[in-house]
Amino acid sequence: MTQRPLELILARNLMSALSTPAFLVDEGGILVFYNEAAGMMLGKRFEELGTVGAAEWGQLFGPFGEDGEPIPYDDLPLVAAVRNGRPAHAEYVIHSSDGASHEVEVSAFPILTAHGSQGGIAIFWPTQMNGAGEGAA
Amino acid sequence: MKVKLWGTRGSIPSPGPETIRYGGNTSCVGVTLSDGSLLALDAGSGIRSLGLALGSEPARLHILLTHLHLDHILGLAFFAPAFRPQTEIVIWGPASPEASLRDRIARYISAPLSPVEVRELPCDVSFRHCPETEWEIGPARIRAASVAHRGPTLGYRIDDGDSSLTYIPDHEPALGADLDRLEEDWISGFALARDTSLLIHDGQYTDAEYPEHVGWGHSALSHSLAFARRTGAERTVLFHHDPLHSDDFLDGFAAEAQERWVALGGNPAALELGAERAEYELPARAAKAAAAA
Repeated sequence: MTQRPLELILARNLMSALSTPAFLVDEGGILVFYNEAAGMMLGKRFEELGTVGAAEWGQLFGPFGEDGEPIPYDDLPLVAAVRNGRPAHAEYVIHSSDGASHEVEVSAFPILTAHGSQGGIAIFWPTQMNGAGEGAA
Repeated sequence: MKVKLWGTRGSIPSPGPETIRYGGNTSCVGVTLSDGSLLALDAGSGIRSLGLALGSEPARLHILLTHLHLDHILGLAFFAPAFRPQTEIVIWGPASPEASLRDRIARYISAPLSPVEVRELPCDVSFRHCPETEWEIGPARIRAASVAHRGPTLGYRIDDGDSSLTYIPDHEPALGADLDRLEEDWISGFALARDTSLLIHDGQYTDAEYPEHVGWGHSALSHSLAFARRTGAERTVLFHHDPLHSDDFLDGFAAEAQERWVALGGNPAALELGAERAEYELPARAAKAAAAA
């Protein structure tokens, strides 16, 4: 068994208590956790989805640019934050499992420790929701 | 591997008639490896007694610090072997981006807090940041990992032959987490303690006390029991007693811990409260098998 770095453990614990959608990736860019608020936005709880890589994530939820085209993996703020060790910000659209689309602002920052980068955190700020899920409680 | 508790108290030395059985000295555990090498886990006030018990031996020892809170380094300036030129001491501890281990310890062993400076210690002392990977001291393999506490803090696992000791005296693994539901790899300190022969773990608070101390870096009883159960430790010693807990109080705490441990399916002989000067001998696997037969 590989123990998760303490910084990821503490980040997950904090994110679990937040009502803002938040996502956590490890140093390899694998999505290792998202919180209940994010699960509500995506229409799928993390416990249902589990750990996923970028390719699967893209197929499920996007993200997409204003033109509807998928945003390349390398351009995602969270990927940029982990790779470059710097915060990153973007606006894009994601699709939830019920077909609704969500316009979000995303701020991502790396988790830097004495042992180097351990991953990154992205906070999603929903700005608008359209489509099947519109009006849902 | 032989283990002796020289200081079991947390936070501040608490001597007096009301703490005479469980002890009033702060964290220090002496470990004698199978080849006779000596380790000291933390250097709270208990290390003073360890130093006195050593006499003029050994010529070389290692001190493994979990962190630099005062109750874990308090005894360094009163450790008799440090004042003998023939002694070689290697002090291991957590790295920090702020300053080196030596410089951080020197804040305590320097004026105006101390009459001596680190550079004035007659012994041959060196300071080493614990590596990320396992390393060896004598016949033992040592692992250090960051654990949930305030500030850079390590837990240790020492494997010597078939026996292992895990030492996590200051630990709040349930901060923002449900230990009964969390996956193993997401539990702070889990890999250090998994299936260990002897787990020495934070047991500072009762469940009733914990809500007033959330985020202080210590465990409530239910957290300590859940951690011990999840990790499969063969034997668990609750440690780092709160300075406000008298012997009589801790007797009651021990009884409650036993009752709840058994209710969780635990072996009653596998859980106890740490008492100053208590000794444990961790047998090799062959000896364990013979004893079981």
